[in-house]
Amino acid sequence: MREGDKSTLQIKLIINRDGKTESKIFHYCKRTPDERPMALDVLLQAQATTEPDLAFRYGCRARNCGVCTIDINDKPRIACRARVRDGDTLSPMATLPVLADLVVRRDGIARQLKGRLRSGGHGNELNVEAPDTYHDLTACIECYACLDKCPLHARNFDGGLPGEMSGPLPDAAQGYKWGNPFSFLKLERTRLDPLTTAVGRETAVDHAVHLGLDACVTCPGCKCGVGIDLKRQVIKPLLKAAHGKIELRSEGDE
Amino acid sequence: MALVKNIEVEWIDYDVVVVGSGGAGAHAARAAAEAGVRVLVVSKDPIGASDTKISEGIATVRDSAGDSDKESTLSENVKMAGGDLPIQKITDAFAQDSVSAYDHYREEGLRPKIAESGDRPQPLPLPLGGHTRRRSVGHENCGVAFGHANWNMIVNGGFNGSIEYMEDAWFLDLAHSRLESGEIAAIGRVHGGLIYHAARGCLIAVRAPAVVIAAGGLSTLYFPKTDTMRGNTGDSYAVAARAGAELVDMEQIQFLPFCLTSPPSYEGLLAGEPVTASFLGVLRDKFGKIILDGVYLRTRAECSSAIMRAVEEGRGSKNGGAYLDMTANMRAPLSGPYFKQFLKTCLPSAFANARQALSKSAARCEEPWEVRPGAHYQMGGIRVDCDGASVGGDGDGFRSQGIQGLFAAGQAMGGLFGANRLGSTSLTEGAVFGRRAGRAAAAWAHSAKRLEVDNVFAPIICQHQSRFGQSGKFVAAVLRTELQELSWLKIGPVKSQRRLDEMDKKLDEWTQKLNDIAIPAVTTWNQAFLNFEELRNMLETAKAISTASRERDGSVGGHVRLDGKNISAFAQPYSTLVHYTANGKWRVRREKRTRAPLKRLIFYKIQEKKRLMEARILRALPAGMRDRNLMRRYQAIMGSRGAPEVSPGSDEAAVGEVFRS
Ligand SMILES: Cc1cc2nc3c(=O)[nH]c(=O)nc-3n(C[C@H](O)[C@H](O)[C@H](O)COP(=O)(O)OP(=O)(O)OC[C@H]3O[C@@H](n4cnc5c(N)ncnc54)[C@H](O)[C@@H]3O)c2cc1C
Ligand code: SF4
Ligand code: SF4
Ligand code: FES
Repeated sequence: MREGDKSTLQIKLIINRDGKTESKIFHYCKRTPDERPMALDVLLQAQATTEPDLAFRYGCRARNCGVCTIDINDKPRIACRARVRDGDTLSPMATLPVLADLVVRRDGIARQLKGRLRSGGHGNELNVEAPDTYHDLTACIECYACLDKCPLHARNFDGGLPGEMSGPLPDAAQGYKWGNPFSFLKLERTRLDPLTTAVGRETAVDHAVHLGLDACVTCPGCKCGVGIDLKRQVIKPLLKAAHGKIELRSEGDE
Repeated sequence: MALVKNIEVEWIDYDVVVVGSGGAGAHAARAAAEAGVRVLVVSKDPIGASDTKISEGIATVRDSAGDSDKESTLSENVKMAGGDLPIQKITDAFAQDSVSAYDHYREEGLRPKIAESGDRPQPLPLPLGGHTRRRSVGHENCGVAFGHANWNMIVNGGFNGSIEYMEDAWFLDLAHSRLESGEIAAIGRVHGGLIYHAARGCLIAVRAPAVVIAAGGLSTLYFPKTDTMRGNTGDSYAVAARAGAELVDMEQIQFLPFCLTSPPSYEGLLAGEPVTASFLGVLRDKFGKIILDGVYLRTRAECSSAIMRAVEEGRGSKNGGAYLDMTANMRAPLSGPYFKQFLKTCLPSAFANARQALSKSAARCEEPWEVRPGAHYQMGGIRVDCDGASVGGDGDGFRSQGIQGLFAAGQAMGGLFGANRLGSTSLTEGAVFGRRAGRAAAAWAHSAKRLEVDNVFAPIICQHQSRFGQSGKFVAAVLRTELQELSWLKIGPVKSQRRLDEMDKKLDEWTQKLNDIAIPAVTTWNQAFLNFEELRNMLETAKAISTASRERDGSVGGHVRLDGKNISAFAQPYSTLVHYTANGKWRVRREKRTRAPLKRLIFYKIQEKKRLMEARILRALPAGMRDRNLMRRYQAIMGSRGAPEVSPGSDEAAVGEVFRS
């Protein structure tokens, strides 16, 4: 509350216009003296005032839809629930190619799962409860914050970020070749579903291996934007199930 | 007009195009694919990011609490709650399919708690939101769980890979031919449509004999006084109306009574439902006077209209709402702790909003909550039959007099809920009518003769191409903000003739300005073009609302006329039908609906009065007696299993959000 004596916040916007990166300073006017705005409030105010054509994604304003993720001071944040401070920098998520301003192209991620998610069960079979771990993974809102610092995802971009690539970008419309924590979460969730058959569970592991699960063996592990314990609940069980299918240099300690 | 070629056009062919990737779109796509046709899903938001994904995740499943819940019981419940505006064939279809449609969600991975009997999902302990039976089933992670199921349905590509999809792709207009035009509603036929693929930076002309519109609602017209997704810009209605389709009951917009008013980041978000108020909650004006009691028994419309009437009389709260006072529940020594648990678990995401936005003591219900209605759901919509096919003509309508090849499902369609929607029926609606529309669209695509249609695309292609690079002195985003502010005041939760006149005058002015809006020629993610298109759809939707609102000169359900009487439940019910003529004018007419048998109506009304009386008697009991009585009631509804855990992922572990003090 004591921060409230300043009526504006100075925020730097790093945006992409017509393929060129620009940096702009935006002065956010607080609507109440004690307002502690979220990043999304800044973007909405910018759009309503000096930057009417500013492009950014949002949907629910309540941390449910998962589309508003941007980088704040170079870290992925869910814009509708991330408070900003004077001097913060907002930029597009660095882990995906930029389309315009703060909008990145997301669909290369989802597409890699086409045909890989099996569902099952009919009639009274459906009257079965899923384990708590299944619901823990269902909490994923698909915000893609977990792409940050994922070496496997980076393989799609020559090991770095899309913005740093010298050659052409991989075609998102085909689905990226290499996986990421989100895709692994979807596959692990399939494995946890009580209605997935033994064959289905096995296939899910094969898909994970195919998407590059080997990268996870040496990786310190991923972080989720909404607090799902990806390392313990997704990566470790997949690695364990894939034992023998990939070359494991060191084993999980379970 | 010279053809400006600032953006390329690609041509593709499908059997069925589905617009939208929420519950209705996903189920339509799957049903059509199962019927053996090639399906394209077009979604402007990332796949699955929709109202369905952000819902509370409570779905209506008939019979979930026992076998007494007949199809006719549910159908009648929906129809009577809707003021007899709903069409019986459509409410019957809803009741028939509500169990199987829910199972389709489960086939895609939705996993509820199972009842002890082991043969059905476990319903919530109380009949919610106007239901006469317990049939609402809640889910862990709320709507996100539905989001996963819909996402899987679309991204996975259907059983035989016959579902393709595009995201970041705006469906702009239907390619259609009008067989009859002039002042009457059009009879016509759909041949596909035009898409702007923002990620690829091109227009896509898709030839398809059938299009299912499942593009959601219009609540963004009232932003920020809404709890819905940003994308609800009325695209469903505007796109259909431009092709000549009729829209039904467009004045019937559901405003949720208890949305937050502040702080600004939370404005409009859902704080609770009437049932949240529990046994002792009341609404008060700024002087502390009770403006509505028995809140937990009231419909959303009753609560919203009580608040807005108080505001109109100058008795509103600081931010133009009222106070939801639940302190009496909390103060009771025995039942208080039960109430606390009930509040936390009955609507988990709404309570999370309230807890974060309000003061600590308010979140503990030690002081009242400031609340204000927020736009939530459009009960009217595209006029269809019980299979989601566009209809025209008299009575319940005929396919042969509608737009052939046009289908609608989910919030986009009208005719199911009429003047008031029961809680938790919309997720079910999406699955039921998504499936029905998908099947019907596939059948139509199978049988329809393919015509040489490229010429019907010419005008829409030309029109949209020339927008890229349009010069002008106005900015769409600025006009949109003006439109949103005025919509709340003139065609929002309260209306009057004068307000509608004022609205129409401004709508004409803004519409005139459309050709004078600046749009650069950029092809990839042209935000100005997107703003323009959504503004155009919002303006047309607003006009449809005001036209229908004029025709209904009394209050009923979600439509409150300050200058008119309440329309009695015993009066002859009618729906409003609006359409956009080939000459560019909006026309409105009335269509009579059948009233429920007098005996049922009286029975229904008496039940309602009885429940309210009971609530009053309860409040008037001596405190100790009341407390013990309430404790027993809570124990009965919360059951032996106790309340479920709610929040997965802890706040502290969440790196995507930063709450810094
Ligand atoms: C906060 C909240 C809580 C709710 N809780 C419940 C509940 O507990 N139970 C219940 O039954 N109902 C609830 N509802 C209502 C319910 O969620 C919605 O009415 C329902 O999900 C609508 O489904 P739909 O498929 O029709 O539309 P949506 O799910 O909104 O999907 C619309 C889709 O259309 C796409 N789209 C829109 N325009 C275009 C275009 N021009 N081109 C391409 N794509 C387009 C969007 O991107 C989106 O994918 C709630 C709603 C909200 C907002
Ligand atoms: S553990 Fe695997 S998925 Fe997670 S960040 Fe590392 S490489 Fe990526
Ligand atoms: S796993 Fe977590 S960080 Fe990754 S997409 Fe899901 S919610 Fe976001
Ligand atoms: S806007 Fe939906 S998660 Fe941020």
